[in-house]
Amino acid sequence: MTAIGATRLERPAQGMARALGTLVLVMGAAAAALATLDAVPAWVQGEPRGVRKAASVEEAERRLKARLFLPAYFPDTLRWPPRTVRLVVEDTASVALSFDGQDGVPALVLAQTVGGPGPISPLVLPEGPPLQSSPLAVGDGEGTLSRVVGEDGSIWHEVAWTKSGARFALRGKVPVETLVRMARSAHREGR
Amino acid sequence: MPATRWVDLAGQAIFHTLVAALVIEALVRLWRVRDPRQRLAFRLFVLCYPLLVLPLVVLLAPERVGEDFREARALFSSRRWDDMRFLGYGLRHWWVGVFGGMGLALFLMDLVPLLLGRRGGLPRGAPPISPQGQAAAAALGEVARSMGLKPPRLVFVEEGGPVLFCAGARTTSLVVSRAAVDLLDAKELRAALAHELAHLDRLDPGLSWLLMAGRALMAANPAFQVVARAMARDAEWRADERAAAATGDRLALASGLLKLFRATEGRPAPPGRRNLPLAAALAEPIARARALDIETRCRRLLGPAPAPLSHGAARLLAAAASVSALLFFVV
Repeated sequence: MTAIGATRLERPAQGMARALGTLVLVMGAAAAALATLDAVPAWVQGEPRGVRKAASVEEAERRLKARLFLPAYFPDTLRWPPRTVRLVVEDTASVALSFDGQDGVPALVLAQTVGGPGPISPLVLPEGPPLQSSPLAVGDGEGTLSRVVGEDGSIWHEVAWTKSGARFALRGKVPVETLVRMARSAHREGR
Repeated sequence: MPATRWVDLAGQAIFHTLVAALVIEALVRLWRVRDPRQRLAFRLFVLCYPLLVLPLVVLLAPERVGEDFREARALFSSRRWDDMRFLGYGLRHWWVGVFGGMGLALFLMDLVPLLLGRRGGLPRGAPPISPQGQAAAAALGEVARSMGLKPPRLVFVEEGGPVLFCAGARTTSLVVSRAAVDLLDAKELRAALAHELAHLDRLDPGLSWLLMAGRALMAANPAFQVVARAMARDAEWRADERAAAATGDRLALASGLLKLFRATEGRPAPPGRRNLPLAAALAEPIARARALDIETRCRRLLGPAPAPLSHGAARLLAAAASVSALLFFVV
């Protein structure tokens, strides 16, 4: 084959390679733009990616297609409805309801898994080594009562237990008796 | 179906069309697609996406609506924008509402003048017995023969300003006025008639109604409305190229276009009080856009005929497959 013939054969191939390169570039740019747009709400709200906010307990239940466990006993010192409802949808979903006290200060977090006994995602309930831990009976099951460092840096109490194949944690800056009473009254609402 | 699901579907149709339109427009520019038939094919894919591809994807892949897909596999989940709220509504709801309103405005901007213009129906024609009428009939027969087409029914209008257009989805007609024949020289008249015959040969009047039906279905989809308008411009360009090839005189077509435009829409508005508030502000951008369209068409006609892009079908297929694959992960 002559050199001219070889060049003529290369040209369409080069043209197609360039066209393919352009397509990859445009699609890559589109995918990057979409991923950036997807991440904007999390950046704006200061939440890690993967954490979603629901407007209400009902909306969280609708998204997860499951009823949440809520305490039948709810002390007057806390405000209802929850200030935030945050959820992480993974193989096992995790939900955390954050409640303020009547003074408007964060006072309690109720976290639970939905759809499995896996650990509660640290994205909705940050893990911290318990300063002190002891066993505690919650209903028919076993649980633990711990002292942990809360979100404001002070010492909070935490009751963690497993019930009906789901894991629960109540972490609050409230008296231990209140926490335990709330934990023992938690049930899936038949609304 | 709950309201959230409707917002999901409407949001997806609007957002997917927008992304598809932007990607395809970028490819059309970067690949320098100048052949109007190829441009039409690329843009047709954008219009087919919300009408055919998205409904198929929704039907065949119901798992896309689940939270698992949204959280673990989706590249973009519009529901995340609902986490941010304004006046009690999530930003996604606002976004769908604002874009839906924009789409509706774009649709009505074309629909209302179309319906108002059709109120009188086609102008009543007269037998082409005048010298101008006979000249038009002769030129039409000659141009149709040279293009290998059967001449359509000629509707010759003796009175009024210059008009030259084709109409009819089932029974096609070509409307020419005496003023138009007086305005154009013989070459320009042949080129203008060839342009209209090219439209009729491609069944453009019928297809434009089909396009309008698609626009009505996607009335709240602004990207769909914009791309449909761009397709109408490409169809004009395609008819220009066919006419220029048939008559062999690109300049005569450009000159005829300019003369007809100046004699009709290109005239400045008469001074005086307007009844509609802000009419001037609304009419001016539209008039400017029409003038720009004519200018662009004339500039194209001043240059040589655009060469078709190599491997056009393969490029279109690759682009369509890539866009569809990308949008599968956008919910």
